[in-house]
Amino acid sequence: MLRASVWISLAYLLTPSLSLENYKEDLRVQPLRDGRVSTAFSFVTVLDGVVPRNPTALEQPDESQHYALFPLTLGQILREYAITELHLTLNAGKWNYDDWGHPLEASVRTGAELWAWMGASEVTTVDERWSGLRNALSGLFCASLGSLDSRRTTSPVVAFPLSGSTPPFAQHELRHASLPSENVCTENLTPFLKLLPCKSRAGLAALLNPQKVFDADWHGMGVHVIWKEGTGVELKLTLQAVFNPARSSAGKRRDWSLQSLFDRSIERSCPVASSSSVSVVLPEEVNYQITPQIAHVEGSAIYDLSSSSNSTIPSNIAMHWPSEHSFQYPMPPLQPLTPLSVKRTLHGTTQTRGVLSVSITNNSPQEISAGYLEIIPALLTLWMHTLEVETNSEIRSDLLSDLKYQPPSRQPNGHLSPSMVQAVLTIPPKSTLKISVEVNKAFLKYTEHPPDAMRGWELPGAVFFPLPQSANNISSSYDWEMIYTPTLLVDLPTPDFSMPYNVIILSCTLMTLIFGSFFNLLTRKWVVVEIKE
Amino acid sequence: MDEGTVLPVLVCFRLLLAVLPLPGQHILKHDHQINSPLTSYLRLKEGLWMLDNNVDPYMGGSFHHSPLLLSVFSTILPPIPIIWAVSDAVGAWALLRIWRARQGLSLHRATTSTAESLIVSAYILNPYLLFPSLALSTSTFENSFTLLTLMFASEGKPSSALLAIAFTINLSPYSILLLLPILMLLVTSPASQLASPRPFHGSINRIASLFGEFMLYWLVLVGAACIIADGSWSWMKASWGASLTLPDLTPNPGLWWYFFTEMFDHFRPFFLMVFSVHLVIYILPVCIKFQHDPLYAAFLLIGVLGTFKAYLTLADPGLFLSMISLFPEVHGYLRHPIVTTLLHLHAALLLPLQHILWVSEGRGNANFYYAASLVMGMAGGAGLVDACWAGMRIALGDVKVESEGKGQVARWEVARWEVAQE
Repeated sequence: MLRASVWISLAYLLTPSLSLENYKEDLRVQPLRDGRVSTAFSFVTVLDGVVPRNPTALEQPDESQHYALFPLTLGQILREYAITELHLTLNAGKWNYDDWGHPLEASVRTGAELWAWMGASEVTTVDERWSGLRNALSGLFCASLGSLDSRRTTSPVVAFPLSGSTPPFAQHELRHASLPSENVCTENLTPFLKLLPCKSRAGLAALLNPQKVFDADWHGMGVHVIWKEGTGVELKLTLQAVFNPARSSAGKRRDWSLQSLFDRSIERSCPVASSSSVSVVLPEEVNYQITPQIAHVEGSAIYDLSSSSNSTIPSNIAMHWPSEHSFQYPMPPLQPLTPLSVKRTLHGTTQTRGVLSVSITNNSPQEISAGYLEIIPALLTLWMHTLEVETNSEIRSDLLSDLKYQPPSRQPNGHLSPSMVQAVLTIPPKSTLKISVEVNKAFLKYTEHPPDAMRGWELPGAVFFPLPQSANNISSSYDWEMIYTPTLLVDLPTPDFSMPYNVIILSCTLMTLIFGSFFNLLTRKWVVVEIKE
Repeated sequence: MDEGTVLPVLVCFRLLLAVLPLPGQHILKHDHQINSPLTSYLRLKEGLWMLDNNVDPYMGGSFHHSPLLLSVFSTILPPIPIIWAVSDAVGAWALLRIWRARQGLSLHRATTSTAESLIVSAYILNPYLLFPSLALSTSTFENSFTLLTLMFASEGKPSSALLAIAFTINLSPYSILLLLPILMLLVTSPASQLASPRPFHGSINRIASLFGEFMLYWLVLVGAACIIADGSWSWMKASWGASLTLPDLTPNPGLWWYFFTEMFDHFRPFFLMVFSVHLVIYILPVCIKFQHDPLYAAFLLIGVLGTFKAYLTLADPGLFLSMISLFPEVHGYLRHPIVTTLLHLHAALLLPLQHILWVSEGRGNANFYYAASLVMGMAGGAGLVDACWAGMRIALGDVKVESEGKGQVARWEVARWEVAQE
């Protein structure tokens, strides 16, 4: 272990300074009001002065890649497919915005979500590179990203804009896909940890114990690569988990410590990290105790763990509520922590049709304009003519504007792409807006159903996103971030999977029976014969 | 009731149904027995919505209607229920005129016989036709256009008939099956020749020139559709292509949907070809065998469509069943009318029941409905064979000869399985 870190330090010192690399890590712990504890790790590697590959020059050999801290496996994928910006998240569970507030990392969509901005090129089309990227990443992260094919891919540029700068070399295009049924587990965490310079041996990543992380009420990881002009390529690996100490502790107490949450401790800091810190967001109430004691900065306690700092690594950080015998859940009604609360449901009792309804509540005393994005796989057909917007039991079509609908279109491989609905909603203060649209459920071929067909299909969540500031002037006190709704389960009608031969035989028999009788009549000559008795 | 008032009374009844707010109409609009993806009112509305919102309706996978319907309902008239009632009335009126032309009666007679009341009732009150019409399925228009075509052809109005068949084919491409008998009908007479078969006596050259005229109308309509669909050909793939490639596997009473749901992917194109060619195979044999009575040939081909076409709805066999009333001369010679009737009753009860058990109640599975659709196929096939049998059997007439000598009545029967050797 020690030898490894020495080698890493040596490698770091001896790297030819083609590009300066900088690695920072950070953990934010926040006790939540429902007794849970949210933890958010972020590991940021910056490649100074590096520019994403120009896709128009994909035929020419690429410059050689020398990385000391940046993961080579990911770097190769980014260069091979000339990716300017990449976001991959793998999450499990439903983020409870009302009680937990906005997450530190906004991408909390259930399942897998992948979106990439790529420069257009005539050498290799964006779609070819998108397909290559999916397969490469699915190999790298052991996730079924390969199934994010044309049945899942769209290009919602308004909701998912470039977060960094736009390189000047080409027109950029977005490809976005999500797979809500992806299960996130240990096999995804192991390759994730391999991308870190200190792996899980030192620094904050030493806390990442899969047994604990995947036992959390909500957990997810993310890979974000963006390019900022003047800075370079920034790789941000994030891991968030929401623990429930009241569930796991014997006395139903919400006391937590890093040791109790992760069952591990930080033995030493990562030697190559330029900064490494743990910050604890302190609750508003005062009856808690935090150890080790430290001066508070803006409502949070920050512990510096970097090797360069003089302070010793605190073996454990813990928070107690000494006066509390057991944790009492706050009594409802609770004011939601986010200005918008969203509920999305699929009604209907039959397997052939239903009503998709979304209700958005504005909890703030100000009108909010929100972008609304719905990406529906062709499993459901939306009847857009039945779209209704209602608030306080009256139809208010004026509250939905800039409606853009892209129906499913047939791709060259015969699959239907998802349909996409994008609109701007204006939600009056302290009121609820209800959107409903009728849907039809598809009848699929028997080969298109998954092996567990009776379980149903997961429908990706809708996205609500704040509009760019130029479009509206909402004061910063009601600032909010992107909101993902939970996934829905669609109960599709299934054919019988056991009898393709029987159906072929029975249908063909009936057809030949009718054909035979009919042509038998047509080809016979009619004569009158005497029947002898 | 006076027989002359049957048509007006029934038409009033139908109009009343259109304007009254009937319960359950929403369920009818979603029903798979009476709406197919090609005829569903919901999809028509969706197409109109997309047109209003500057989305190409034919880009998505959900709209399959003809651009002609789209343009009519987006510019001239909104799709209101009264149009379907009027279309039903036109269909009944056309059926009546076909009857009069076949019987050689005056077209504008003041008096009406019982048979005529029966024909009108058989069309307007036929549940297989009434329910699709109440559900605002566009199959009502296809049926009315088919009957108008036959009416014009029977009355010897070539241009009108050819224009009507061009419209019908534009709405539903399978109606191409009816083109040959209609051309034959235009050069001969609609009068019943079933009892006295004779070789075709019309002029072949005239048929060729009529076919040319049809092609002209048809191309004009295709051109108009292309202009309506913003100069693109994509509507052809979305609307006509859907009948050939079956992109939507929504259940219906026909034989295609479950077969292609369960089909192995690599055999799909082959069987799609087989099922499509199977329909075309019937045209020539039927037209040759019934060359003496092309109206009857058209009737049989409508029966073939009502059994075997893709995206079948009850309106297709419904048209065939209503048209049986045009041919009273064959009723006595039907081979097994009771069996056919019972099969139809059986299918009409089983289809909605099994459909509900499968998709709503969740107590049955797809095989339940498939079994019901096989019964429907049997019923359609039995009706077709029955009609074909009767149409040929009538030529032999009733043969009952009293034999001499022994004073006994020797029974003479028609031999069924005597093979023609020539």
